Amino acid sequence: MSEPLLTVENLQTQFFTEEGVVRAVDGISFEVNEGEIVGLVGESGAGKSVATSSIMRLVENPGEVVGGTVRYRDEVLVGFEEGPDGERRRSPEMLSEAEMRTRIRGREIAIIFQDPMESLNPVFKVGDQLREFIEINREVSKAEAREIAVDMLREVGIPEPEERYDDYPHQFSGGMRQRVLIAMALACEPNLIIADEPTTALDVTVEGQILDLVRDLQAKYGTSFIWVTHDMGVVAEICDRVNVMYLGEIVEQAEVDDLFYDTKHPYTEALLRSIPRPDQTVEELNPIEGVMPEAINPPPGCRFHTRCPDAREVCRRAHPAYQDVTGDEPPHRVSCVKYEDVGYEDSDPLETAATGAFGGGLVEARGESDE
Amino acid sequence: MSRLRYAAGRLLQSIPVVLGVITITFLLTDAIPGDPVSIMLGPSPSAQQAAAIRAKFGLDQPLHVRYVNYLIDVIRLDFGQSLYYGVPVTQKILERLPVTLLLLVSSFTFALVTAVPLGVISAKRRNKPTDHVSRIVALFGVSTPSFWIGLMLIILFAYKIRLFPATDLVMPWAHPSAVDGASTQLEVVLTALHHLVLPTITLGTLQMAAFTRIERSSMLEVLGQEYVKLARAYGVSEGKILRKHAFRNAQLPLITIVGLQLTQALGGAVLTETVFSINGMGRLIITAINNQDYLLVMGTTLMFGVVFVVGVIVTDLSYAYVDPRVSYDDTD
Repeated sequence: MSEPLLTVENLQTQFFTEEGVVRAVDGISFEVNEGEIVGLVGESGAGKSVATSSIMRLVENPGEVVGGTVRYRDEVLVGFEEGPDGERRRSPEMLSEAEMRTRIRGREIAIIFQDPMESLNPVFKVGDQLREFIEINREVSKAEAREIAVDMLREVGIPEPEERYDDYPHQFSGGMRQRVLIAMALACEPNLIIADEPTTALDVTVEGQILDLVRDLQAKYGTSFIWVTHDMGVVAEICDRVNVMYLGEIVEQAEVDDLFYDTKHPYTEALLRSIPRPDQTVEELNPIEGVMPEAINPPPGCRFHTRCPDAREVCRRAHPAYQDVTGDEPPHRVSCVKYEDVGYEDSDPLETAATGAFGGGLVEARGESDE
Repeated sequence: MSRLRYAAGRLLQSIPVVLGVITITFLLTDAIPGDPVSIMLGPSPSAQQAAAIRAKFGLDQPLHVRYVNYLIDVIRLDFGQSLYYGVPVTQKILERLPVTLLLLVSSFTFALVTAVPLGVISAKRRNKPTDHVSRIVALFGVSTPSFWIGLMLIILFAYKIRLFPATDLVMPWAHPSAVDGASTQLEVVLTALHHLVLPTITLGTLQMAAFTRIERSSMLEVLGQEYVKLARAYGVSEGKILRKHAFRNAQLPLITIVGLQLTQALGGAVLTETVFSINGMGRLIITAINNQDYLLVMGTTLMFGVVFVVGVIVTDLSYAYVDPRVSYDDTD
């Protein structure tokens, strides 16, 4: 297999708040190959958006990328090394802020944000906003940039792009604005687009249109995507490979079919079970029990053990390693004590939010609701 | 086109407002205790004299008749004769209004020119020393009375170090021959500016402080918006984000406050004109009230009302100019 386009290794981002240090992203690793759509899935607060802003080095105060490596082709976006005094410091290879701005952001890696209603500047014309980003990130004149902008608006399905160019954002619907943002990302001709929950704010029919659009354009331009979402349905629809995040860590990573049909991690299972289906009533929904603990004070051992239907005594003590469990190519990595030789089988079942007060037969209790 | 339509709409809306100002002014002036006739004729006039004067000014008519008559006069831009000065009120206003407008324009210019950069720098260097200094200056500015600032400036700059004059304001459009030591129009303008320094700072400090605080907080808010993050993610430099992507949006709350501060400034003009012996509208209205010159009181109050209404319209129009959402229909 060729070199990956983007490699993330042991990335750590922390927020230094008055209440303490929040380990929002705590040592995640994944890669993105050329032309691939990689999913980053998890509940709100899992650290997905912080992970993507860390890659772009756009984490805002009081947050800071404190460790790990992000490599884009030959460029080191994030890199740390140990100094002579034993302190961790930025490696000299790491791109400067100015280099990030002029060489990476927009030019190589573009981003589509979650909320199309807030992502466009209300006081500037839509077309001019598009044109400005094209001018910054491509070697074209103002007139050429305008032409590219109009073409791109047409490409993403904006009717009468010449006329719409001079409209303001409030004259566009949510779906149309998201199309504009997609046009913005593609028009800069990056190799990687980070889509941070781009369809979450849209209604379902529009979401379907946008997913179709992205799939078509991805096939045409061969752009790689990191697709951040909390929606397993969207993952199935669009991703080639998936990373499941929980509380700042990636707990499972596999090809999309593998993940759905050969699920390894109890959290992923719970996520899949919680997808509402048309043949279920609201009472039959299977939400994940409990709430995600705060990243400021994560549970010891496995971070999911407080909500895990399969939790046993040992899960509270042992922090599971993130490892390939199938030995096949491509690998299927998972971080769960069940797949380690640390005495899971002999350990006593643990009472958790998911197992309920009855404690008893763990297997039977799985998926049962608290009501 | 839609902006023009919007402007026309706002102008039409101001008609009932001005009508309201006229009505309230008329009723309040009528309710003021004291009799203008006794001021005109001195103490204990003969009943005959008083009746003659009342008939001359129409004061013997019932209230509603006087009101209608006054309205008709105002529509014909005739505000009557000033009792105290013995000249038409209109002439007095035309003489004094430019002076006050000059003072207002110069103090608002001073306030905006200092407040906008201060606010932006404050927001950019949030919680750093520059920010603290500018916030403390702003706090002092909003909490210090303008007449006190005026007196202190006079003591310091006019009497101790004699840098700026405290009296005898010259109008920049005055004829050179009427101004001491000036032979060209340019010299007149320079003299005028020199004279304007202290009154401008006196009247403008409060606005400056208020504007700085608004500019800072609104800039901070805009810098946290998604579209600013998006610009950053597309490689736009911090300087350009500040100057272009954030700046225009951040001015919207400021524009609103500029309009509202106009009332405060009109009140401040009365004090400032008194402190610096400037013959503007502020002193005119005081003279009018002190002498029960009821026609002059009504005329000047109405003029203040009009200045405010015009200021608000200008505010709304600049708002519409900066924010396309105001004047454009969502439906087109």
